[in-house]
Amino acid sequence: MAIETLVLGAGQEVGKSCVVVNINGKRIMFDCGMHMGYNDHRQFPDFSLISPSRNFNDALSCIIITHFHLDHVGALAYFTEVCGYSGPVYMTYPTKALAPLMLEDYRKVMVNRRGEEEQFTSDHIAECMKKVIAVDLKQTVQVDEDLEIRAYYAGHVIGAAMFYVKVGDAEMVYTGDYNMTPDRHLGAAQIDRLRLDLLITESTYATTIRDSKYAREREFLKAIHKCVSGGGKVLIPTFALGRAQELCILLEDYWERMNLKVPIYFSAGLTIQANMYYKMLIGWTSQKIKDTYSTHNAFDFKNVHKFERSMLDAPGPCVLFATPGMISGGFSLEVFKHWAPSENNLVTLPGYCLAGTVGHKLISGKSTNIDIDPDTQIDVRCQIHQLAFSPHTDSKGIMDLVKFLSPKHVILVHGEKPKMDSLKERIHSELEIPCYNPANNETVNIPSTNYVNAEASGTFIRNCLNPNFKFQKCNSVDTRDSTLIDRNLTPELQVEDERVADGVLVMESNKKAKIVHRDEVLLMLDEKKQEA
Amino acid sequence: MDDTLQPQWNHTEQPLTLHTLSSIRSLLINPSTPKRIVSSILKTLTQSNLTHHTLNLLSDLATHHSSLSQLALDSLLRATDSPTRLAVDSLASVSELSFPQEFELDDDRFVSMCFGPSIPGRVWMLRNAGYMFRIRPALLFTVLLGFTKDPYPYVRAASLEGLVGLSERGEFHDVSMVKGCYLRALELFDDMEDCVRLSAVRVVASWGLMLSASSADMKAYWCNEVFAKLCSMARDMSVKVRVEAFNGLAKMEIVSKDFLLQSLSKRVLGNGKQRETMDQITSEQFTMLATSVAGALMHGLEDEFFEVRKSACQSLHRLTILNVEFAREALDLLMDMLNDDSVVVRLQALETMHHMAINGCLKLQEKHLHMFLGALLDNSREVRCAVRKILKIVKLGDLAMFKSSIDRLLENLDSYLQDEADVFSAFSHLGRNHKKFVGYIVKETFEEVEAAFEGNVEFKSARIAALLIICISAPLFNEYLGIIPPVLFSYAVTLLGRIYHAFSDIMDKDTLLAYLCEKSRPPSDSVPDINHGDGEQQLSLIEGDTPKCASNGVVDSKIGSQIMKEQKELTSYQVEHHQSEYSEVTVYINYILAKFPDMWQMIETGFTNEVLRSLRCLKEELASLKFDSLESRDALAFTLLYFRIIKLLVEVWEHLLPAKGLRSHGLGELEFKLGKLDRRIKELMSKFVGFSGEEELNILELILVTYALRLCKVETICVNLTFKRLASIYSCLESLLKERPVLPSNFVVELGKLLHECQTASINGASCSPLQFDKCLKLFSLKKFVFHGTIRQLKTELSISNNDSLHPFPFVSGLPVSVPCEITLHNIISKCKLWLKMSLDDGLVQYVFLDLDHLEDSGDVRSLVFVAPFYRTPKAHSFTLKVCISLECLFENVCPVQRYGGPKYELVPLCKEKQVYFSNVNKD
Repeated sequence: MAIETLVLGAGQEVGKSCVVVNINGKRIMFDCGMHMGYNDHRQFPDFSLISPSRNFNDALSCIIITHFHLDHVGALAYFTEVCGYSGPVYMTYPTKALAPLMLEDYRKVMVNRRGEEEQFTSDHIAECMKKVIAVDLKQTVQVDEDLEIRAYYAGHVIGAAMFYVKVGDAEMVYTGDYNMTPDRHLGAAQIDRLRLDLLITESTYATTIRDSKYAREREFLKAIHKCVSGGGKVLIPTFALGRAQELCILLEDYWERMNLKVPIYFSAGLTIQANMYYKMLIGWTSQKIKDTYSTHNAFDFKNVHKFERSMLDAPGPCVLFATPGMISGGFSLEVFKHWAPSENNLVTLPGYCLAGTVGHKLISGKSTNIDIDPDTQIDVRCQIHQLAFSPHTDSKGIMDLVKFLSPKHVILVHGEKPKMDSLKERIHSELEIPCYNPANNETVNIPSTNYVNAEASGTFIRNCLNPNFKFQKCNSVDTRDSTLIDRNLTPELQVEDERVADGVLVMESNKKAKIVHRDEVLLMLDEKKQEA
Repeated sequence: MDDTLQPQWNHTEQPLTLHTLSSIRSLLINPSTPKRIVSSILKTLTQSNLTHHTLNLLSDLATHHSSLSQLALDSLLRATDSPTRLAVDSLASVSELSFPQEFELDDDRFVSMCFGPSIPGRVWMLRNAGYMFRIRPALLFTVLLGFTKDPYPYVRAASLEGLVGLSERGEFHDVSMVKGCYLRALELFDDMEDCVRLSAVRVVASWGLMLSASSADMKAYWCNEVFAKLCSMARDMSVKVRVEAFNGLAKMEIVSKDFLLQSLSKRVLGNGKQRETMDQITSEQFTMLATSVAGALMHGLEDEFFEVRKSACQSLHRLTILNVEFAREALDLLMDMLNDDSVVVRLQALETMHHMAINGCLKLQEKHLHMFLGALLDNSREVRCAVRKILKIVKLGDLAMFKSSIDRLLENLDSYLQDEADVFSAFSHLGRNHKKFVGYIVKETFEEVEAAFEGNVEFKSARIAALLIICISAPLFNEYLGIIPPVLFSYAVTLLGRIYHAFSDIMDKDTLLAYLCEKSRPPSDSVPDINHGDGEQQLSLIEGDTPKCASNGVVDSKIGSQIMKEQKELTSYQVEHHQSEYSEVTVYINYILAKFPDMWQMIETGFTNEVLRSLRCLKEELASLKFDSLESRDALAFTLLYFRIIKLLVEVWEHLLPAKGLRSHGLGELEFKLGKLDRRIKELMSKFVGFSGEEELNILELILVTYALRLCKVETICVNLTFKRLASIYSCLESLLKERPVLPSNFVVELGKLLHECQTASINGASCSPLQFDKCLKLFSLKKFVFHGTIRQLKTELSISNNDSLHPFPFVSGLPVSVPCEITLHNIISKCKLWLKMSLDDGLVQYVFLDLDHLEDSGDVRSLVFVAPFYRTPKAHSFTLKVCISLECLFENVCPVQRYGGPKYELVPLCKEKQVYFSNVNKD
């Protein structure tokens, strides 16, 4: 039997993650995302490749969604409600809670701002969510008789999970997006050691090796401390989920430790709502937050207050979190207009800003004048601090995970082709694991494990209960990556336990395979002789 | 109950019920159960089928009844004959008893029990047999190693644990055995089960070290190998495995520099030229293992779980000693750990830094300071304390760092008042370790402290105390460099009570005071001339905290002996004062008095202002003291007066100094001061009694100086009188000198000559030129006044009851009135002549002699009521009379005042003037 992997999205690109795996006869769709960069048919995966007859219910056993980002869940409502898939959809509890928010938010933006035709409605989203079965971490779910799935913690965003799938003897893991180093508010990915035939992993940062986050955090805190102690105001434009909480916990911690009394504000809106979700989803956060939440919920920010518009020009230092993250408009732009002209103030920007946003101009240009629109020009004198913060694992993390799991095959998705090629080469050469990085709509076939059930004779079983080890000294050829030159001078002591080796597999025609003890073989042969 | 139970027990065929078993147990653990019953219980138990319960009962019996324990033990041992689960249990019970050493588990039994069918029993045997029983290492090793192949993960883990225990027991000389075990554990790094990997890490760490120790040639190779393997487990998914991996790293003995550096960088370090130092093998090995080492420590420090971060910090403890460059880079990471949200981790990071500082590999840089000193404001007391602990021993690189450390420490003090003692201590250490930097800041510090003491700025006492500490501690271990103005030491004396804790690691309060007194002497005098034996035992300063590195240069043997010296000086002080049984007050006063001779030398070299300043401080310190006992108050009063005299003398002396002579001090001021000095000295002589001869000599000499000054500088009118006085005092002094074997000072000798000359030349001193006195005065130097504690102050209290301005006494003008005085006398002896001086505003004075002879009671404190008549009542509606008790100065033999019916000599007031109000009865 084989495992057949069809990549519908995120093959040699980032966006619209969607992989359909046929494993021992079961077809599973991992993620169902949309591509944010396109507005045409390329926005969604080409679902017709799953079933030309568009009979998706028969074609798929289930859908598994790893986390709530739109490039992983964006096409789900379209696929279930428009394309007509009505089978089970699995995702973690936080994803189930947050995915509809994200979908709804996106739909609104599409319809209200861009004036485009909507691909799915609010009702679609609601209906779609009814098909979702929520799972917990490390909970083994029996989808049907042969198919079992299990979620493992992936870091990345709240509720993100890696999924383990087992059909018969074939086992595989689809990672989704994950992070191998912990944040303040999220832990690192965590998984058991498994015997995998296939690992499908993201490779966003296939060649990047990230340095310690501590240095970045230190610089960030230092900049902010300096600014507020000089009486300045700090603007932190962020997206509502993830980064805002991460930075806020970082600040809260520092405030507490240094006994700072400067107020921290959250602009109203999604952030406040998001914090509420985080407070409820404590079980999905980092160890530290889990450990301490019984005494203090880390998302109950002591120093954080709600920001009122009237405070914009109030004197005195403060720190303000405002959406959106790249100062592309909204409240963060409004605040920016007020605060940018003073050199006492500070704006911290994320590591990456889309071209065309104010954030992008601030990072790229040294121009002190920024035109917001033809009528408005801002004289930017404030300080700019950039804080790169990525919830994706780096290449070392991918290598570490692959090494730890040691699967028989690896497929890379969710990355840029040249970098994926380089990583593929490394996995191949360093870990000696065959690795693939198919493009969209390509299929990869790999063999899967199949165990044969065999009967065991009583003698053999009894023999297996008794330890029976031997020591031998041999000149080992196995040089477990050692370079000792005199390796062969001293013979190595090795242990062998021969109880299983004492077994002999007997395959007779028309009979089930049987394992007998080697002493029995002679007896059996004698019997045969007599029969003959 | 015994009778009812006993028949039951004899039916041993029936299994014992749980109820019976529990009754048996209560009987066993009850110490008063008769022996007969216990032995029958034993019999029943041994005869019945052994179960888990009976095993427990047997071991209870063995514990509680020592006489039968051997029998119980035997039956327990009998149970171990067959390799069953029960046998292992009973073995476990045996091993828990207090005398397992008498018990030998023979090889056969050990092997058969390990190979028995019971898996939990096997696990127990593998895990514990090595610890509990003396089994031949070779046999144990074979069994344990064999079971690492067992299909059951818990058996594998247990056998690995057994191997860890075995490695602690001793050396294995067969290298191939050690290597085989090590390699087997390495294989198990890939095990599916966490618990097996965990134990495998422990085996690799312990047996790997043994392997590296087995051959000197290969040691470096194997150490690197083990290091790399352990690093590869730093990315394991199990928290416990990661913790154990770092615990293993903490045991490494030598690791090549490149391996160490690689563990801090996630990027694989290039095969660059910087690795010239490495030999061929290491280089190859490095290329091979670099990926598994890469960033291991960094990952550990970034870990989600504080246990891992802590363990990683802890492993740096050891690793930073191995290489200087690594220590430097690791320090960058450690500094970031101070931002950690877990206090435990922050503390461990600081602990590691402290360890680095002790080993001389803590090289703080400018970029670290923000983080490092920031931790001084941490809200955890332990963290702040740990930072200060490091600051106490670290050697700071430059002045800027030194200054910011001081600033941050002061901030620490501001924010957390409760830290004061430890912050002061940190200052004291900073000062001791950085005398050069103290030299740079001493000027501004001095100005600030001076301004504070002058009262020009707000007195932030904690801040001033801290600054003083850092200055005064600088010369502590170093030869006196003359950079610290001596007056700072005098200032420090005034804060002694507050700051002495900062030095408590090397000296106590008295020693510190002695040290400060010594150092506040002028530089010329400061070269210590005390000779020390070379073989003196050196003092250990702060155990374990002394930096080992020679470059630190703070503590070496020389310093050790210097501390010894300080201590010796102290003992000389102490002996001097403790021998005599004077009170603490006496000792204290003597400490202060002992400083004057040194100050005098400073005056002669022109440091008048400095001396005045320190005098003022000392005086304030003295004045703030409060005592309960009368003696102490007297002593204090005396010392204060002595202070005033010295202060006046210093002020006057300035006029004698050649340089200052040009200053436009008016003669009037000098005269005024001399007059004041005169009065004070008279006060001193007359208001205090009980001087010892030595004390009297000292004071008489002071008086001579005063008169000589007067003659030399201002006196133009009453030269004769002053001269007479001088001569009379001199004769007093002469007679005193005759009585005792003390050599007169040069000044006295010279003055004596001069007086003799003058007396022979003419009858009065007019012919003596001031210049001659000047010559004498030049010879004067202030002698140390040793306070013997016998001095008492003469004091009186006067009160007149029922009288104030609203309730005056009636009088008839022209007729005498009586003034009813209630008088209390302190230390007044009968030879004292006391006068009641009554004066009116118009200058009219009337004296009434207080006759004390008829006072019956004697003692230090006496009270009497005395009705004094006042004769010269004025013609007025009302008048006020000022009444005061005064003492006649008898010590001068010259007789300047002649009053009819009044005192012959000058009077010194002994109490405050009291106002008495009178009102005319005939008001019309």
